[in-house]
Amino acid sequence: MRRTPTPVKIVIAGGFGVGKTTAVGAISEMKPLRTEAAMTTAGAEVDKSNLTPAKTTTTVALDFGCITIDDEVKLYLFGTPGQDRFGFMWRDIVHGALGALVIVDTRRIDDCYPAVDYFEKADLPFVVAVNLFDGVLSHHMEDVRWALAVGQHVPLITFDARDKLSVRDALLAVLHNTIRVQSGAVGAAPGN
Amino acid sequence: MPGSSDMNGPLPTSGEPGPDMSRVRPYLLTSGRAQPVDESLEIEAQVATSTQGATSPSDLTFEHRDIVELCRTTMSVVEIAALLRLHIGVARVLVADLAALGYVVVRRPAAALGQDLGMIERVIRGLESIR
Repeated sequence: MRRTPTPVKIVIAGGFGVGKTTAVGAISEMKPLRTEAAMTTAGAEVDKSNLTPAKTTTTVALDFGCITIDDEVKLYLFGTPGQDRFGFMWRDIVHGALGALVIVDTRRIDDCYPAVDYFEKADLPFVVAVNLFDGVLSHHMEDVRWALAVGQHVPLITFDARDKLSVRDALLAVLHNTIRVQSGAVGAAPGN
Repeated sequence: MPGSSDMNGPLPTSGEPGPDMSRVRPYLLTSGRAQPVDESLEIEAQVATSTQGATSPSDLTFEHRDIVELCRTTMSVVEIAALLRLHIGVARVLVADLAALGYVVVRRPAAALGQDLGMIERVIRGLESIR
């Protein structure tokens, strides 16, 4: 029988128009694909009482691409809008992920709060990446960190979502961060 | 029996025509089952057509047959969904049907992959080779 690759994945999250699909497209071997997941496909598994009503039929677009790592490993990149109301799909996307990249547009920092919240709750190690539109950083990084209310243990980087090597480096930052977190370097230190 | 041909039967909702067929369709495709047969099937799980699937399946429904054709090249559940314009939940059900029939083989990611440092280092090496 033919060998099938082992799939691994990294989640790329952030608000609408922040550069998720651009980033996926910059490094993916294939043109990014888009698919939809419907709220109705996951309704029966809802176990949190405060979630949306059962009749909701919202669909959400999921953009993704992939990178062949070697003969046996294929890396998928899932770009997903970080919206609370899409939480049902996040579980699918996040489960088993190696880490996450949260993309921030400093003009609309609020947009990435749901993603940051979700990854913190899900214990998925993540890196925050400011997308340098026009190559310009319009805020000091420490101001961005303050606005995001993430601790010093969360790496904060800048990158250009249009640039393949810049996206590669951002993904490497995600993986190195996961290793750091898993190795206990961050630990469960009280406070920040 | 999953995959039986009555899935191609007349639309149960044909009495109420409307613009909303795209929302009805997932239920038709999966014989009314909203839950995947294997609801835990990961969206990145790899699907490949088996020898049996490549040779026999004239009895399959259109949707099943499309997947068997497509997966002569190994791909993920989410790619199947995107390429065949299916909702992810539907693609899962159809893939699970085909796996139960032996027409496709599914390779799921290892459990706790996110904690596998060896795997993460391997992915790092792969990314570092990108120029």
